[in-house]
Amino acid sequence: MNGTDPLLEVRDLKTQFFTAEGTVRAVDGISFTVEEGEIVGIVGESGAGKSVAASSILRLIENPGEIVGGEVRYRGETLVGFEQRDGELRERDDMLSNEAVRKRIRGREIAIIFQDPMESLNPVFTVGGQLREFIEINRDLPESEAREEAVDMLREVGIPEPVKRFDDYPHQFSGGMRQRVLIAMALACEPSLIIADEPTTALDVTVEGQILDLVEDLQQKYGTSFIWVTHDMGVVAEICDRVNVMYLGEIVEQASVDDLFHETKHPYTAALLDSMPRPDETVEELNPIEGVMPEAINPPSGCRFHPRCPDAREVCVNVHPENRAVAEGEIHPHRAACLQHEEVFRAGYWGSQPLDDAERAQRHRELTADGGGADE
Amino acid sequence: MLRYTVRRLLQAIPVLLGIVTITFLLTDAIPGDPVSIMLGPSPNAEQAAAIRAKYGLDRPLYVRYLNYVADVVQGDLGHSLYYGVPVTQKIAERMPVTLLLLVSSFTFAILTAVPLGVISAKRRNQPTDHVSRVVALIGVSTPSFWIGLLLIIVFSFHLNLLPATNLIMPWADPVNVDGAGSRLDVLVMAGEHLLMPTITLGTLQMAAITRIERSAMLEVLSEEYVKLARAYGVPEGTILRKHAFRNAQLPVITVVGLQLTAALGGAVLTETVFSINGMGRLIITAINNQDYELVMGTTLFFGLTFVIGVILTDLSYAYIDPRVTYGERE
Ligand SMILES: Nc1ncnc2c1ncn2[C@@H]1O[C@H](COP(=O)(O)OP(=O)(O)OP(=O)(O)O)[C@@H](O)[C@H]1O
Ligand code: SF4
Ligand SMILES: [Mg+2]
Repeated sequence: MNGTDPLLEVRDLKTQFFTAEGTVRAVDGISFTVEEGEIVGIVGESGAGKSVAASSILRLIENPGEIVGGEVRYRGETLVGFEQRDGELRERDDMLSNEAVRKRIRGREIAIIFQDPMESLNPVFTVGGQLREFIEINRDLPESEAREEAVDMLREVGIPEPVKRFDDYPHQFSGGMRQRVLIAMALACEPSLIIADEPTTALDVTVEGQILDLVEDLQQKYGTSFIWVTHDMGVVAEICDRVNVMYLGEIVEQASVDDLFHETKHPYTAALLDSMPRPDETVEELNPIEGVMPEAINPPSGCRFHPRCPDAREVCVNVHPENRAVAEGEIHPHRAACLQHEEVFRAGYWGSQPLDDAERAQRHRELTADGGGADE
Repeated sequence: MLRYTVRRLLQAIPVLLGIVTITFLLTDAIPGDPVSIMLGPSPNAEQAAAIRAKYGLDRPLYVRYLNYVADVVQGDLGHSLYYGVPVTQKIAERMPVTLLLLVSSFTFAILTAVPLGVISAKRRNQPTDHVSRVVALIGVSTPSFWIGLLLIIVFSFHLNLLPATNLIMPWADPVNVDGAGSRLDVLVMAGEHLLMPTITLGTLQMAAITRIERSAMLEVLSEEYVKLARAYGVPEGTILRKHAFRNAQLPVITVVGLQLTAALGGAVLTETVFSINGMGRLIITAINNQDYELVMGTTLFFGLTFVIGVILTDLSYAYIDPRVTYGERE
């Protein structure tokens, strides 16, 4: 640690959805920090729990979901805080009220850019009006000034003719343009932290490049911190300082970008990096990760990645590795959740039998088949 | 929006023509002959022929049809055989009564149902919600004439609080209203007369609108853009009133529009139960007496009301949802 408190600290955060099929452990005890001025990445496949984690930080989880444990602290305030008391999980007294989170935190301190640009704008109000309203609320500006700010911000994110477009409705904007509007909303509120949930997925590569440049500019200008959610390792390499790799609700590796790419400590990260398209490879040479991620309702025993892990051994089926410090890092240690790091986990990985391919494939089929594989 | 309105109105013309045609053909197909009604069961052949000639009934169907359409276009709906006055005069006399009844029951329904539905959605699965849902369920499943009879028995016969028959127009001249000395008396009496028919006709609408309002609000409240508004600190009250409410009214408008048609049928029953001389009773009298031009005239009126209802639905839709008028802008 460098002596000062982090801007945001997430500890052992757990969010579950109580559905008819069972309890979805979408976020299952993740811990990470964001320092002032830092861009922290969260990467992982679809369904890993990235969006749920992002929403949990701002307490935006709705029925049938619920935050069931852990802690989120932002600049000394407790956004989420649970404690075990009399055998029951309770909200701590220092946890901010709903009203306080709404008034003091949302938009003003922490803004979020949602993943889906097509559904995130209200179809019956003008784009400019929606942007203006958020500026009014979060910067205490009168309507006319908020309007000017809104137009400026639309121009800044690359909407042509922003004065004219201000009064257009969302359906008159393309997906990419709507995405820019969502980005403008976050930037315009001048928060200290922006949670960006795959904000460039809907954009083509050139536009994505422009937006990433813009974010870097702003980050230098205002020192805004970002949590950048993506499944694209290329984007991570381009803008992030540190990265969290998520798999089935857990963080399986956490390191600076350099360490993650060059000192990879987890087989899942290695697989993700391996599946990344590189300029020197043709499409045939790509190595997609085998299989699909199982459901978060009944996660695999032991290490959740073992049904797909090329290095899995018997011990991985039974022992669940936590995300522990396995090497030094620049400021924070390099963490990984893999039993191969025998010196930290001491589970007897190297003496254990490797899982043979047939067995692993079978387990994977069982886990990913419809209805939990009971029919096999 | 203006162009859309004009286009919508123009589109109504063929629909109205269709209604005229169908009404004409249906009336023609009704068994029984107006001549036999006027002259009794075994008419003198010469008299019958004379009457046929007088009303043009001896001419071929298409000639009569074209004549009828030409008359209707000029605002002439023919002559009521039973009342002995022009059909338009009879309609002009009865229409305000039915319109008053419709307007007052829809006002009652909307003013109660919309807040009830919104509160229900906001307090989902809490006691308020349960109560309002049970009330709505009872409302949609109780026949309106039964509600009317019950109200009459309780409030007119037992409690003697409200009049059981007739309506008084609030704009009627005090001189023509029994027991009224001033404008205020007329208004009070009009209100007293209107209360029970309004509840009778409006309960079904209220219940149906409450249900759709609740489910529409619930659906909109789970939309991504509502989540976005929450994420930016918009107060819950503003979300309910502004961000969610407007979107949620789209399905509500559709239901209100459909209910308007149902309410026309309900008006016939309500007018019968409360002995109100409106369009509903007029059409029944017309049918019972095979007063075929009056039947056509009143049917046309109901058709017209329906078309106006549809147009109003579409226009309010376009007013709320900018995507509707979009097609013509680009
Ligand atoms: N409202 C909900 N009800 C039930 N389950 C949910 C709900 N929202 C998310 N989940 C579940 O939580 C898990 C994590 O979902 P999440 O949306 O966070 O994934 P993600 O990592 O953001 O994926 P993507 O890259 O596709 O956006 C998934 O298994 C998903 O099915
Ligand atoms: S613990 Fe075992 S299964 Fe899990 S990632 Fe490491 S080697 Fe693979
Ligand atoms: Mg997501």
